[in-house]
Amino acid sequence: MFPRVTALALFAGLLFAEDVRNPRTSPADVAAGAKTFHSHCSPCHGYRGEGGRGPNLAAGRFYHGSTDADLLKNISEGIPGTEMPGLFYNADRVWQVVAFIHSLSANTAKPPGDSDAGAGLFHSQGCAGCHRIRGEGGALGPDLSAIGAARSVDNLKESIVDPSAQVQPLYWTVSFEDASGKAVHGFLLNEDTYTVQLLDRAVVLHSYEKAGLKNYTIDKHSAMPSYRDKLSSQQLDDLVAYLWSQRPQ
Amino acid sequence: MKHAIRFCLAASCIVFSLPAQVTYEKLLNAASGGADWLTYSGSYRSWRYSSLDRINRQNAAKLSLEWVYQMPTTLMVETTPIVVDGVMYVSEPPSNVVALDAKTGRQYWRYHRQLPDRINVCCGQVNRGVAVLGDRVFVGTADAHLVSLDARTGAVLWDIQVADHSRGYAITGAPLIVKDMVICGIAGGEYGIRGFLDAYDAATGKRRWRFWTIPENSWAGNSWETGGGPTWLTGSFDAQQNLLIWGTGNPSPDWNGDSRPGDNLYTDSAIALDADTGKLKWYFQFIPHDVHDWDAVQIPVLVDDEWQGQPRKLIYWAHRGGFFYVLDRETGKFLLGKPFAKQTWAKGLDDSGHPILLPNTEPSPEGTYIWPGVQGATNWYSPSYNPLTKFFYLSYWENRSVYRKGEQEYSPGNRYIGSVPLIDVPGDLGHGGIRALNPKTGERIWEYKLETKPWAGVLSTAGQLVFGGSDEGYFFALDAETGKELWRQNLGGIIRANPVTYLVNGKQLVSIAAGNAIFTFSLPRPPAER
Repeated sequence: MFPRVTALALFAGLLFAEDVRNPRTSPADVAAGAKTFHSHCSPCHGYRGEGGRGPNLAAGRFYHGSTDADLLKNISEGIPGTEMPGLFYNADRVWQVVAFIHSLSANTAKPPGDSDAGAGLFHSQGCAGCHRIRGEGGALGPDLSAIGAARSVDNLKESIVDPSAQVQPLYWTVSFEDASGKAVHGFLLNEDTYTVQLLDRAVVLHSYEKAGLKNYTIDKHSAMPSYRDKLSSQQLDDLVAYLWSQRPQ
Repeated sequence: MKHAIRFCLAASCIVFSLPAQVTYEKLLNAASGGADWLTYSGSYRSWRYSSLDRINRQNAAKLSLEWVYQMPTTLMVETTPIVVDGVMYVSEPPSNVVALDAKTGRQYWRYHRQLPDRINVCCGQVNRGVAVLGDRVFVGTADAHLVSLDARTGAVLWDIQVADHSRGYAITGAPLIVKDMVICGIAGGEYGIRGFLDAYDAATGKRRWRFWTIPENSWAGNSWETGGGPTWLTGSFDAQQNLLIWGTGNPSPDWNGDSRPGDNLYTDSAIALDADTGKLKWYFQFIPHDVHDWDAVQIPVLVDDEWQGQPRKLIYWAHRGGFFYVLDRETGKFLLGKPFAKQTWAKGLDDSGHPILLPNTEPSPEGTYIWPGVQGATNWYSPSYNPLTKFFYLSYWENRSVYRKGEQEYSPGNRYIGSVPLIDVPGDLGHGGIRALNPKTGERIWEYKLETKPWAGVLSTAGQLVFGGSDEGYFFALDAETGKELWRQNLGGIIRANPVTYLVNGKQLVSIAAGNAIFTFSLPRPPAER
């Protein structure tokens, strides 16, 4: 007698073997995978896999394995120790999801532009005054050490020419006058009904009780200036190439 | 022999310290006040109100921490404790139960439920509480079982399967004791279940009756078999009419109604069932053919009061779609409906209480912006009714979602929702707070505004207090007449639960779950008693 559990284990072992290739990669499969993805995965990973509660899946790099077999296993079984649940579908349908996820990063090839020239621009244009890469640079703006893995090329360009297009709440600016009449500005790190926590331009942390503050406003625009008219097309490509090359090491 | 004598002495001590039994009569009388918190909503009328007034408007500012009980879990805690004669029974997620000394927060016993590897619960493996009858504790489990425990030891007395968890059934709500029965609802509206409400013999676990929320063959094709209509929150009981009043959940799939044309009865409804037979007496459907996931899974608040000059048996119901309703409890007739929060989907309600839909408010492939959001203008967290102020208190949300429509086929045990909405619009998360309504008119009396949207219910007391909580972790007490804040304490974790209050050794305590713990507050003892 061949115990059922043994047979299942063997099947799973074969299914998740390293050399397994996705058998469902046609355009129809990708479209079907998109439907499943939007129903099951988007709440955490975003409608286009851009990330949110769950990691970005559109960069072609996956923290728990990037092979087809890795993805099949992680989607089918979930990832222990994380909030990622399993998707209770047959393998064909999960393969379609894998195909869709790969399609999200189909355009993640190295962009045009000279990364070395971009590195120079990063410093000469003042980016490093606010942004930090692997411990070097300013502390006010987002750390860009792994930005190439987190954002698409288009998104990187947009962030440079139109910084206010997408601003994380952490980089909204809060302004008010405190009880003594002193004007206070800073990045809105946190707030609740009664208190606010912020980082001012001198990189000093502050926490205030809201009661007694005057003219309390939150500006959801980016504090970063637009570089739309400050960079040539070539310079923009170079800077994007440099940022694209910043990946986890 | 000496050991034997010691054992006997210890055993007799245990016997003498046993909690008093919870009888049906005690449950019937819970509404008239008492030292304990005997059932999920405090009484069968579900007022979440206590006649205790030792903590009141004059001294609430002095509330201080009595004890904390930390749960060994990282899952969301949505439990309402039950307190019987100094013993607190708490469900811990996913499906465990602990008995605590309500005076100290120290544990008596623990029931640990071993769950299967794969559990389908749409929104977290939560559990909202237990029920107690006699010397038994009852808990529903994430794998859709109902379990009876010995209140003294936590030992399992019986354990029955209510439904097949592999098909998306789960139990997240607290059971309700009625007479010698355990009334048990079911979750699974995001998995294409067919909803029901069950009654079980409390002594044996044998099922007395089942009411299917979707009558057989009553919908187009086979859609009734996977049409949802769960019953995942504890309902109320009108003992005089022998009526269970319960809310039903959304039809499945949630955001695409193409496969289920028609009203989709009895989803999104208040249902009134004969408690002995489970036969339907009347229903009121808040939203026919819902495509926004606006369950009618809220607490039915039962009040006897004058209505337009005549005494009447009423139900107050703040529905997830943003309207406050008053229904006649004898017939289900619609009496009043008024928005209590911003809504952009209905022009209003007609004379029968049906919504007059506005155009272009259905989910669409590109997304439709609608107030309230998917989580509703309110949700499962409890409202409260205070007979002193005659106000209805509730936690409200003001926010919107982007409702998307997609396609989805049914497969057992998988989500069956028909697309995924954008629940919170980035940069536009909305806000919430506590509102007091005049239930005779639906008019707002006062508002306590919060920066964020609360998942905590409210409790009101004869001390003219309203207790509430926030996602920010604050537990607070408000003046029941004015909404003025009298006290608040940051508990350091999201509050997704309802407060309760009770007496232990003559001392009034207030408890609520926050983060992964139960926090209990009281007034400091006078110096002479220290």
